[in-house]
Amino acid sequence: MKAVFQVALGVIAAIGGFVDIGDLVFNAQAGSSVGAPALWAVPVGVLGIIVFAEMSGRIVAVSKKPNFVLVRERYSPRLSLFTLVASLVLTVLTLGAELGGLGFVLNYFFDVSVNFFILLALLAIAAAIYFLPFGGLERVFGYMGLALLVYLAATLKLDPDWGEIGSGFVPESHGAAVYWYFIVGLIAAALMPYEIYFYSSGAVEEDWDESDMAVNRANSIVGFGLGGLISVAILLASAQVLKPAGISPTSVGSVALVAQQPYAQLGLILAFIGILFAVAGATIDTAFSAAYNLAQHQGWKWGKRFRLLSEPRFTLSLAGFLLIGFAIAQTGVDPIELTEYAVIFSIPVLPLTYLPILLVGNDRNVMGKHVNGPLARVLGWGYFCLICVLAVAAPVLFVWTNGGG
Amino acid sequence: MSPDELKRSIETLESTAAEGALLAQDVAEDRSKATFVRVHSRDLGDVVVHEAEKLNDAEAGDADVGSAKTDAIDLADRIDTALGQLQVAPGSEPDGRTAEKALSGLSEDAGKLAEGL
Repeated sequence: MKAVFQVALGVIAAIGGFVDIGDLVFNAQAGSSVGAPALWAVPVGVLGIIVFAEMSGRIVAVSKKPNFVLVRERYSPRLSLFTLVASLVLTVLTLGAELGGLGFVLNYFFDVSVNFFILLALLAIAAAIYFLPFGGLERVFGYMGLALLVYLAATLKLDPDWGEIGSGFVPESHGAAVYWYFIVGLIAAALMPYEIYFYSSGAVEEDWDESDMAVNRANSIVGFGLGGLISVAILLASAQVLKPAGISPTSVGSVALVAQQPYAQLGLILAFIGILFAVAGATIDTAFSAAYNLAQHQGWKWGKRFRLLSEPRFTLSLAGFLLIGFAIAQTGVDPIELTEYAVIFSIPVLPLTYLPILLVGNDRNVMGKHVNGPLARVLGWGYFCLICVLAVAAPVLFVWTNGGG
Repeated sequence: MSPDELKRSIETLESTAAEGALLAQDVAEDRSKATFVRVHSRDLGDVVVHEAEKLNDAEAGDADVGSAKTDAIDLADRIDTALGQLQVAPGSEPDGRTAEKALSGLSEDAGKLAEGL
């Protein structure tokens, strides 16, 4: 049981990153539009995030330095400030979308008012952050989000074509821009910057040291592996239910409808419980990531491991980002569109997020015997090149395909 | 409004009607929850109304597009009415069956209209 709880950080970072409000719908859209041939993009993204999460966790275990401390140390003040501002804008926009998404999800249960539930969600998240320890937040929101595994059960019950699934994991050449739009989006969704900010800062919160290398490896592989599995399951279940009917999903309700097909009310309830906690987990990931980044960049005392009242600047910035997110959600902007924009336009920021991790991971002076081995170096540089290609391709494909439509 | 833009708009109507039909089928078989049906059918209705507003405001370039645009607005109105039936009676199996039949037919009609462009 202890081993299960030890991977909570990886689970919440992955659930919040892979299946947030926008990714839930994006995965379903990929399933209904492209279907199984898009599957190979998910393991490509999952392997990338595992490589960088494991590296950032290892760096924390050796040097106690989370991601934004590396950004501050390795970049010029101007580039460091640019990275901070870009990451804050994208993370807080995503936070607003997640809070808005929580309002929509809760309204599916009670049908009162989306705006009322956004307020209720804000208060519930603030209370959870104040009263629960960091480990408690990870466990409640990470593990409850695993109710989304109902989509895996749904895929199996819907009698999938295993041959088609198998060939979906093999990349194919394709001329359609829409196909490449979804491939790029699925890879990018796995590599969202706030996942790595949260993961590396969470490793500091959990006080990892050199004796925690195995825990770090387990968190990155199991946590992000589970996130990828759920992503694949939603894509496949949507390909089985929505694609034959010619349905292009536009809301989280469409995603829940998929789980209702094989399991009726039970599927619907499990899907909504999973969605509720996954989106709440993403809200916590993004709120903390924004506050962590600002505090680490400014050199403030930070972290949930201290009493929040003993670190007023970190606490005020956390509260401030939640309030800005709330204000964004209250404008009535569509949270699905907002997160999809955030995914596509966060891609140009990805190289700036991942480069310092790679540089420090390869630095024997800092890492000593835990420096990147040959495999980590090859994978790290390989993925860094891929991220640079995505950074150029994503905005172009977004405009070219009219957002995949 | 170009034929491509009109086609995209009609395809949205086709997809929304098909999703409404799937939801209505679950109502007919008592496989869903009333609150979800009510909220989701209202959301789908909002999509259809928004599309009808866009169609209504757009200038048709030629006579063929103008005629298809009028048909599409009429389809949107009928899809919205069928979805309204689910919203009003989300727990009624007979109403679910009626709405499913209507929405399936309207989705097919929208598909044929889009194909013709």
